[in-house]
Amino acid sequence: MKFPLFGRSLRSLLPLVSAIAVVLAFYIGTVVYLYDPEVSESLQLMQEAMPELFAAFGMANPSDSLCDFLLNYLYGFMFAGALVLMAAYMAQRLVVGPAKDGSLAWLLASPHSRFRLAFTLMAAEAVAIVAVVAFLWVSEVVFCELLFPGDLDQVALAKANMGLIALGLFAASLCFASGCIFQRPGLGLWVGAGACVLFLLMGLAASTGEGLEWLASASPFSLYDAYGLAAGEGEAVLGTLALLGASAVFFAAALAAFCHRDFSL
Amino acid sequence: MGSVIEIRGATKDYGKSRGVFDLSLEVGQGEVVGFLGANGAGKSVTMRMLMGFVRPRQGSVRIFGRDCFSGRAEIQKSVGYLPGELAFPGDMTAAALLRFTAAMAGIREGNCRCGCARGDELADFFELDVSAHVRSMSKGTRQKVGIVAAFMGRPQLLLLDEPTSGLDLLMQRRFVELVQAEKRRGTTILLSSHLLGEVEGTCDRAVFIRNGHVVYQAQAQELTLDSTLRQLYGPQALNRHWREVPAGNSSSGRTPGGKGGRR
Repeated sequence: MKFPLFGRSLRSLLPLVSAIAVVLAFYIGTVVYLYDPEVSESLQLMQEAMPELFAAFGMANPSDSLCDFLLNYLYGFMFAGALVLMAAYMAQRLVVGPAKDGSLAWLLASPHSRFRLAFTLMAAEAVAIVAVVAFLWVSEVVFCELLFPGDLDQVALAKANMGLIALGLFAASLCFASGCIFQRPGLGLWVGAGACVLFLLMGLAASTGEGLEWLASASPFSLYDAYGLAAGEGEAVLGTLALLGASAVFFAAALAAFCHRDFSL
Repeated sequence: MGSVIEIRGATKDYGKSRGVFDLSLEVGQGEVVGFLGANGAGKSVTMRMLMGFVRPRQGSVRIFGRDCFSGRAEIQKSVGYLPGELAFPGDMTAAALLRFTAAMAGIREGNCRCGCARGDELADFFELDVSAHVRSMSKGTRQKVGIVAAFMGRPQLLLLDEPTSGLDLLMQRRFVELVQAEKRRGTTILLSSHLLGEVEGTCDRAVFIRNGHVVYQAQAQELTLDSTLRQLYGPQALNRHWREVPAGNSSSGRTPGGKGGRR
């Protein structure tokens, strides 16, 4: 780890990452504000009337508690989509962009191994993901305690957010690895980000039913089971561990590619 | 005199005759060598190999006896590099960029606006406003930032790719002074350029590269404009001259580059 690079990388990610976090926090506030057991019942009726439409936005599960309400309206599409956006942006900002515009030469001209440089960039990505998810969890707790004191199962939501971190790391590692592996920087970004978007859409399409359920098992994103994690189910924990394992594999592939490839800077 | 730079039979082929082919070059301790070539001749590819950005397909590229790709991190402790195309990481002020560079190089000294005392001196020497953002700087000012960054670590070897590009006359002169001072200090310098004056004023020896091959070497004081042009572009390039087409014989009869036209 090289701390000057680590700090500068985090600072360069700060504008968009903080913008995403703030927008999501506002969204959390709105969703929590909308929570009302009676309104929840009417929403449930709407959901029963238009199940495909709700499922298409990742809101397929009925909600009878504040925690379930949040999992239903935030964790299906909104948070996963934001993390994919963040992953693509971080890869662009830290690897793909510098390789494309030549500013990576500045880093490679420093007396540090490529392994150390790439590891530092990946650490910055991982810390950004953890920080954003932690911020979201704090926002959820604050809004819920302000509006519905004592109603939120904070531990259950924290468990779901642990899985969200694993999902974010998976998307970030995939985009980062793709950016390192492909010689053409633009292609690297599109392949990684495109795969993440595809996985996200596969999960959403599968949840609408109509014979598309098989898509869920083909998408690694389906390894993230927010409800299962909140309920403490072993299978959901295994899914999260699988996501973390896949992230480690992609980060290792990124390191190997970064250390051995040519950079025509 | 031991070799600081040692390139033996290096080939890096980018296709369509681009790259370098069976390139060999040695630069001794304390020597200042001009590396002259036309655009696309292979100068920057050679610099990239020396910096460990790319690996040659064949041959070896070594600095201080170490392989430039596998030993890059160790080599960079003693190397200052000025790239031909300057691109800066992020949107920072020049001061922040230089402090970051000094921190990465492990030469950061507290209370210095440019990261170290030597950086401050160099910024003053080149009249560089380090409070300005690098992205908003002119080409010449950005070049000054690059020069300060390359020289501030007092490296044993300087790899300079077209170092005076964009500098005004006064700054070019100050750059020559700086290179001469480094030369007196015993620094080894490889200076890539396509400007004869830049090489004449600073270098002991000139190496000419054309189409990826070293084609000629000479002492810098032996160089003339004609010999330089001949080596840079090939003898046939000097045989083309402008010939004015008579006014009445307008566009239909003019063939650029052909007989009776621009030749």
